[in-house]
Amino acid sequence: MIALAHPARRAILQRLSLGEARVTEIARPFDMSLNAVSKHILILERAHLVRRRRDGREHFLAANIDPLGEAADWIEQYRRLWRERLDRLNEYLRELQLNEKKQPKEKDNDRKQ
Amino acid sequence: MTANNSPETTSHESGVVVTRIFDAPRALVWKAWTDPQHLMKWWGPKNFTLPTCKVDLRVGGKYLFCMRSPEGKDLWSTGTYREVVPREKLVYIYSFADEKGNIVPASHYWMGVDLPLEMKVIITFEDHQGKTKMTLRHIGLPAGEMEEMTSVGWNESFDKLAASLK
Repeated sequence: MIALAHPARRAILQRLSLGEARVTEIARPFDMSLNAVSKHILILERAHLVRRRRDGREHFLAANIDPLGEAADWIEQYRRLWRERLDRLNEYLRELQLNEKKQPKEKDNDRKQ
Repeated sequence: MTANNSPETTSHESGVVVTRIFDAPRALVWKAWTDPQHLMKWWGPKNFTLPTCKVDLRVGGKYLFCMRSPEGKDLWSTGTYREVVPREKLVYIYSFADEKGNIVPASHYWMGVDLPLEMKVIITFEDHQGKTKMTLRHIGLPAGEMEEMTSVGWNESFDKLAASLK
């Protein structure tokens, strides 16, 4: 999910969904350095959303649509998402109960049953 | 593993299973899951807001959530509640959506190309030594079980996904 949080990375994936491309081709429409674009690509590669193929000195990038990889990937994405989300829920429940102790009247009815 | 809130995450062939123990009464955990006032406080990732959080909590009722990223990008999701047993069980279908609540493939948001169009989330709540044990299953629905089909091309991805999970 984090890999997709940046608009540049979503745009890169959008470009690659049209077909394979060189790093320089991907970087062209962006108003940022080749170095910065490379960093975004690296994040996408780490998330297995982008694949790199080398042909001599040229590097070609493609959106990763390997079905097995993708299947493992969405499950992994959601495992991470739920873990983080439930951490926040846990924290929230704790805060909520702390506040309730301070103001026992307010939420008392909600807690019954 | 400690008794208090130890995350247990297991991978199943078709999804994710998470078990958590919350140090809170079951009624409160249920409310946190079903009341928009509560959901808005914890649902989104850090720094995200939840500008839309509509919940029609009944079997066949729908929800519509909008998560807004720090840079202002919106991600909508929707689905139908399949089972609503207060303080015990919640089952809902989960899909990405547009702002009108129409189901869209995950590729709309540039998430994994083969993400299922519809997923099912099953959550159960039990008392556990004065705390609440929550078990969550998040599974992708195979193409045959889909409720609403909005994109024919998406079937292919489902076939691939189904094949890869065998």
